[in-house]
Amino acid sequence: MKPITTLLASALLALALIPSSHAADNSTPIHFGDITWESGSLTTEILRLIVEKGYGYPTDTLPGSTVSMEVALARNDIQVIGEEWAGRSPAWIKAEQAGQVFSIGDTVKNADEGWYVPAYVIKDLAPNLRSVADLKQYKAVFKDPESPDKGRFLNSPSGWTSETVNSQKLKAYGLHNDYVNFRSGSGAALDAEITSAIRRGKPVLFYYWSPTPLMGRFDLVRLEEPPFNAEAWQTLTDASHPHPQGTRSLPAKLSIGVSAPFKKDYPELVEFFTKVDLPIDTLNKTLAQMSEKREAPKEAALRFMRDNPNIWKAWLPAEIAGKVEASL
Amino acid sequence: MSGGFPEALHFSFADAVNRFVDWLVLAYGDQLRNVSDGLLQVLVGLENLLRLTPWWLLLVIVALMTWHASRSITRALVLSGLLFLIGVVGLWDKLLQTCALVLVSTGLCVLIGIPVGILLTSRPLARKLLMPVLDVMQTLPSFVYLIPVLMLFGLGKVPAIFATLIYALPPLIRLTELGLSQIDPSLTQAAHGLGASRWQRLRRVQLPLAMPSIMAGLNQSVMMALSMVVVASMIGARGLGEDVLAGIQTLNVGKGVEAGLAIVALAMVIDRISQAYGQVRRG
Repeated sequence: MKPITTLLASALLALALIPSSHAADNSTPIHFGDITWESGSLTTEILRLIVEKGYGYPTDTLPGSTVSMEVALARNDIQVIGEEWAGRSPAWIKAEQAGQVFSIGDTVKNADEGWYVPAYVIKDLAPNLRSVADLKQYKAVFKDPESPDKGRFLNSPSGWTSETVNSQKLKAYGLHNDYVNFRSGSGAALDAEITSAIRRGKPVLFYYWSPTPLMGRFDLVRLEEPPFNAEAWQTLTDASHPHPQGTRSLPAKLSIGVSAPFKKDYPELVEFFTKVDLPIDTLNKTLAQMSEKREAPKEAALRFMRDNPNIWKAWLPAEIAGKVEASL
Repeated sequence: MSGGFPEALHFSFADAVNRFVDWLVLAYGDQLRNVSDGLLQVLVGLENLLRLTPWWLLLVIVALMTWHASRSITRALVLSGLLFLIGVVGLWDKLLQTCALVLVSTGLCVLIGIPVGILLTSRPLARKLLMPVLDVMQTLPSFVYLIPVLMLFGLGKVPAIFATLIYALPPLIRLTELGLSQIDPSLTQAAHGLGASRWQRLRRVQLPLAMPSIMAGLNQSVMMALSMVVVASMIGARGLGEDVLAGIQTLNVGKGVEAGLAIVALAMVIDRISQAYGQVRRG
């Protein structure tokens, strides 16, 4: 899902972490991984606010790419990753088996990925478009200017795991002769192309995922796919499988990643992390506002906490919740 | 965060730029996409032409061009051999796509760059105004303008051409200007004295004398266009850059090296041919 990181980024992170690795007294701040994608940075700031105001522990963040943060977590150079797509990267799986890291809770239920079209496309141009099987008859709607006899499916950039899955899905759904498998090159390019098409009210068919600002900003419809089937999923993740079978993607499980020493030293925080539950619609809406108003994640987190006290109070003991509320 | 700089003096124009880009997309997005489709037809046409040509014929054409430019059979064989090797590692189709992209951008560079270079030599005011613009074009990080260009012209080859143009145009303009301004004024005056018109002076005297410099500029433009191939693939342009990018992102170093070397080979072929033509003119 997230682009696989470069060695360079890990090297930079390793440098950034040197000063933090020798200090263990009570005043040492809890280090959160500074996640750069929107939902991750918002979740991180919400957790930090509660940990600081409610529990009174100082916190700090350290930057890094996904894999380098997972490696840093295994070494306890950072203690918390606010949004962990557990089980997707080899670095994480290895550290989890070694008992160095734990994924706590199920923070965003119904996190999703799939193929989307804007709602207006179904309303105005493709009235019977419900599932991926209907795409064949509507290839003219999603015409690719580079090869006008085919439709264009906007895939994720080459190199993302989802790119393999989507390419295999195109074959599995029998669409590879009717649709150009258009890899978008980079996440920024994918976002820009979708936003531009929607702003101009043009049809666009693309791969996307949630929780993301785009999901909250626009009215998007996910095309139906066959129900999840583990065996078929294996054929989709293997780029060289000759006969892929269609299935919707493996449901994403988002949780909070913590290091083994953190789990031992802060049982009350682990208890709180277990209960964190961000409703996906509210989260998407908050992310959309954050992106539209170009708010800093910290401001967006404050606004989210002020506007939705019921959501976060349910995660906390009454006394702690009171302290957090007083600080807002 | 802001260090010692006084808060009162803070001023950010980021919002204004965001609103401007949004407005451009809404107001002119559709028209610009039509322009973009026109350019795309040219590019796709060239690509298809290259694809229809049998591979051996393309190699023969490259060999003949090299020989014509340099009169060296060894060089002709080596250069077409390099292209042959790209085909051997299975990158032939991507090579053609990259080649079409570079040829179209270079063509546009010549169409724009040489007239602008001439303008700069003859109009000091234009020179003063355009020089800083050239600096911006060469140094502004490409992603800064790539994303807005992408929103206006669509994902894929067309924004890639624009990005390449912005980056590869300045050396051609600068070297055209340099070549023209280094001509001995007495030669131009002599032509004037013989009754040559402005146009005749330019075509018969100035441009031929400046040709080595212009060819050097063109050569630089092509090289810079090739170096933009990877960046172009980040906005969805197909070609060799795509393989480099995918190779890097999946830590498939081998794939990245193959495609990277293919770009180098293509660069060498274009470079040797265009330089040889520059030298022929000089001699």
